[in-house]
Amino acid sequence: MERDLEVRLVARLKAGDPAAFEAIYAAYRPRLFGFLVRLSRRRDVAEDLLEETWLRLVTHGATLSDDARVGPWLFTVARNLYFSWCRSRAVDATRSSDLAPSWPAPERGDSPFEAVARAELERRVEAALARLPLRDRELLLLVGVEGLNPSEAAAVCGVPAVTLRARLHRAREKLAAEMNRDRALPRAKAG
Amino acid sequence: MTIGEPGDAVETDLSALRVHDATPESVERIRARCLAVLAARRRADEARRERLAPWRAWIEPALALGLGALYLAEALTRAFAVYR
Repeated sequence: MERDLEVRLVARLKAGDPAAFEAIYAAYRPRLFGFLVRLSRRRDVAEDLLEETWLRLVTHGATLSDDARVGPWLFTVARNLYFSWCRSRAVDATRSSDLAPSWPAPERGDSPFEAVARAELERRVEAALARLPLRDRELLLLVGVEGLNPSEAAAVCGVPAVTLRARLHRAREKLAAEMNRDRALPRAKAG
Repeated sequence: MTIGEPGDAVETDLSALRVHDATPESVERIRARCLAVLAARRRADEARRERLAPWRAWIEPALALGLGALYLAEALTRAFAVYR
């Protein structure tokens, strides 16, 4: 979202404008949901936390600062809600569930071969991400998938930007290693 | 934002992840709840403004008059001090 537009939308949201809410909701809802479902690995939990995140925005919208970055604000709230949920249910957030969320079928328009190849790659990336420690997974999701810059992601995670860059580097290496291991498995089985 | 060199393996892998959304029922329920909260907030703001309106109608002019009088008195005092 462009910065000028974001500033205008925040100002209107603070005034309680429903159209501003609709615009922010349309822009960030799928991204927040994807982030939450890939953190929690559960669609029902992700939907509950998504709802709570948006309710926090409209409840506390009037207290946002004029130059607030609404995207990082939403991801921060969503992340904190997820960790609170883990604590309240005594869930070990560092271990992800094996339960993979059920995604809808690939978009129409792909050829059958492309659709199968794409779905297979996506399945492997999802599985590799799920095997990573939560701290690594959230960084890759925030920066690599959701497109936050490292400073914004550092603010979301509550760590200095320098620390985040180092962690991000390690997270990339771990994901690459998981993907390589995953690529090697079929060959080993075939051999 | 990319997290590595464009075209590197991790970038390619992560770009395979599609954007997903909540179910249409959840999307609509969340929207309706949030719009209801916003509407309630607007109604509460309007009610507060209406409650304060009669007070503001005489407090604001009185305050402006009082501050103006203070300013004028101070200006006159300083002017007389120069000529005294």
